[in-house]
Amino acid sequence: MTNINGKAYAMNAITPMKPWKTPILRLLLLVLGAIKPLQNDLKNLSFIHFARWVVVARNQFPRLSDKQPREELRYDYLLFFSNFNGTWNQYIDAFSAVLSRGLNLIWRWSEKYPGSRPVTGFKRYIALVQFDTDYYYNVYPRAATNDVKAALRVQDALDQFASTSQSLSPADFEKAWLEFVVRVQVDLGSTGVAPVGT
Amino acid sequence: MSNQSGQVYGLTILSPIIEDDGLDICHSMELRWYLGHLARDHESPFARISSTYLARLVVLDDVVYVGAPACEEHLKSRYLVFETNFDGDLDTYLTRMARETPEFVEMVWKHCIGYPGVTDTGAFVGYMKKCQIATTFFFADVNNRTVQQTLKALQTQSALAHFIEKYQGRPPAEIQSEFGALLRSMSDAPLPVAGGDEAERMPQENRPHE
Amino acid sequence: MSEIDVSDIQGFSLKGYNFPRARYLLLELLESGPARDFVMRLLPDITTGERWEIDKKPMSTVNLAFTHRGLARLQLPVPSLLSFPVEFQQGMKARGDILYDTGKNGPEHWDEVWKDDRVHAWLAVNARTVEALEERCAAIERLMTETGGARLLQAQNACAINLDGQPSTKEHFGYTDGFGNPDFKGAERECVPGQGKLTADGRWEALATGEFLLGYADEAGELPVGPIPHLLGRNGTFMVYRKLHQNVGVFRNYLDEKGKLYGGGKEKLAAKFVGRWRDGTPIELSPDEPNADIVADKNRNTNFTYGGDPAGVRCPIGAHVRRVHPRDAFGFNGGLTNRRRIMRRGLPYGEYVPEGQPVRDEDERGIIFMALNASIFRQFEFVQQQWIEYGNDSHQGNDKEPLVGNHTGTGKFMVQGSTDPKNPPFICGGMPSFVELRGGDYFFIPSLTALAMIATGTVDPR
Repeated sequence: MTNINGKAYAMNAITPMKPWKTPILRLLLLVLGAIKPLQNDLKNLSFIHFARWVVVARNQFPRLSDKQPREELRYDYLLFFSNFNGTWNQYIDAFSAVLSRGLNLIWRWSEKYPGSRPVTGFKRYIALVQFDTDYYYNVYPRAATNDVKAALRVQDALDQFASTSQSLSPADFEKAWLEFVVRVQVDLGSTGVAPVGT
Repeated sequence: MSNQSGQVYGLTILSPIIEDDGLDICHSMELRWYLGHLARDHESPFARISSTYLARLVVLDDVVYVGAPACEEHLKSRYLVFETNFDGDLDTYLTRMARETPEFVEMVWKHCIGYPGVTDTGAFVGYMKKCQIATTFFFADVNNRTVQQTLKALQTQSALAHFIEKYQGRPPAEIQSEFGALLRSMSDAPLPVAGGDEAERMPQENRPHE
Repeated sequence: MSEIDVSDIQGFSLKGYNFPRARYLLLELLESGPARDFVMRLLPDITTGERWEIDKKPMSTVNLAFTHRGLARLQLPVPSLLSFPVEFQQGMKARGDILYDTGKNGPEHWDEVWKDDRVHAWLAVNARTVEALEERCAAIERLMTETGGARLLQAQNACAINLDGQPSTKEHFGYTDGFGNPDFKGAERECVPGQGKLTADGRWEALATGEFLLGYADEAGELPVGPIPHLLGRNGTFMVYRKLHQNVGVFRNYLDEKGKLYGGGKEKLAAKFVGRWRDGTPIELSPDEPNADIVADKNRNTNFTYGGDPAGVRCPIGAHVRRVHPRDAFGFNGGLTNRRRIMRRGLPYGEYVPEGQPVRDEDERGIIFMALNASIFRQFEFVQQQWIEYGNDSHQGNDKEPLVGNHTGTGKFMVQGSTDPKNPPFICGGMPSFVELRGGDYFFIPSLTALAMIATGTVDPR
């Protein structure tokens, strides 16, 4: 399945927008990016490595030669690219359940968007506007974003502890070691293969 | 800058694909075939462009018709979408692509209109930037470490978990001494391989669905 | 608020009978005519969800469910058959990759009856005494013979474990079972704190009926996917049946071995696996020792949250109850967990061997596990795949649930702790499989109306 590499799923979606709505969306995305409520929710959901929304206006499709026909489009297009962990269904269920308003703010300007609740219609729409990845590279296929964040915390804790550990007396080391293990104990999950896509 | 989040750059490029009715196998088909057979693990060209986290190449055949009352329309060209997330700045990245993975770049972008080749790095970088689309909203869960730091941390996490289990209950002096050895071996250890191993992605008991 | 018609819903879907004995008759249905006749003749005896008055409790109950193959054998119209949810149509064996029913849990190790998709119907008799059980089963077998509608493939017995001469709710590893079944709107029993969903102000509320019964609004404000016509699905539900063999010997040895190394001792380690002491006390409420008072009080014994224990110091993050019912642990007001609940029924099977006595893992011993839910895919399969066999949602990477996970001898379970020597951090490594799957399938438990439609061949898919 080329949409998946290890624990990451590459979703691509394209939706048409009436051009008069595009500036509203651009403004909203700017605001959402600056004020960060959406960013916080995305971080707390903790299953997206990277995601982006890209607006391509109807006259913005790159034209590199006179021989290339000029696009004659009525609509502007909103492109969405996500690198997420979990299955397709799990991802959309989660978005519909907890990010409903944010999603609606972004996609309501797209034609025929049904809203993110009820989830069944939302899934049908996404399946319609999704297009599949031809090649997907993942530098850490065995790690979800949770694993990455946990590993970075462990590394930081280790760097701190390591600098003093060897100079302690065994008795002091014993105490410090226990404190160190308690500090990293929630971040020691193994990495590995993802469950199959559903 | 909307293309950037912390240290991570989000690049989106749309390169129009050559349409040539005279060919037996059209460009987009050949491109897809090439991409379908390209290594996706540590042998991927992106593993060599080592600042890459996650990258994708997608042939966008057409826009979608979402149903009445929306209008049906079609693109006149196909576009190759290149979406990548990497450490550092754009110019460095594109230059590395041209210099470190020229065969790959050639095999992909030769199918695209206006591609100037990789020998003139500046021309290539300019060409790619012409096709760049600005990201309007970019989210990066982790944006303050490099790829190498991340891979190292994953290696550390695994080694530490094994160590803790192995030596739990042992006398403190022993743990301390073995811990010193662990630290030394971790700093000597080679950096983990970017891109992982295709074989370890799919062990026998976890075959993916088709 | 959903008003539900308890006389139309099979009792098994609505409540645990708490009878100590059961027999699950796994049937092959024969020709469709006689099979329908058999269903028709059974109909008056099917136990509904109606409340039993005191002193009027029946001596035994009867309930009936079908696999998709069974419904096909009964000659439901093709459009109806095709309108059932995909996972139910495929059956459990075909979903093995999702469920991690591989390796020792793979179909090659299942009981013969489950290996080849032959089971069409599940006929469950629950009874208060052995005599009542035998009497009811004999009557059913007579009916099978008279109608020529079904053949018995296997009779699976199950029986509550007796302790001190009384049926208990213990299972073979020694844990007390039966807490925390979800409350849903319209169900008759009282809403007990800890069983439903958490509201924003910290109260517990019943879940939407449609999470457990077809034909009612679910937590997402929709009707769950159900077959057409509507009446065929309404008041019905889906059941996952799994025969889980328990390697009691392996479990006891492992617990002994690790218990010696663990600062809190063996019983506490056992409690850390599950999130409850073996008597049922939640370790979130009583981290140092079991507490019979809490267990006996239904307003306390499942009334807790994890908000005060984010590091898993009392209840490990990967412990059984924390994985399958995260409560407030994922934030977002339960949005990520309210649609992942399952109703559990089940009874142990096989002879109970008390602690300290030699036990052979080759013997038949385990639990017949049944999960009821409106959507097998969204509820049971999700919990199994994402929360039992994988740990990303609980930030435990690939680590599996310790007790029932499909371990291969190399996995681990992290017991988080503190600097208290009686509650140290501890890694249980080299986890063997304590539980092995010996078969099962996906069933549809129709309403009484639907059963009548099926029996009279009047299912019309329009």
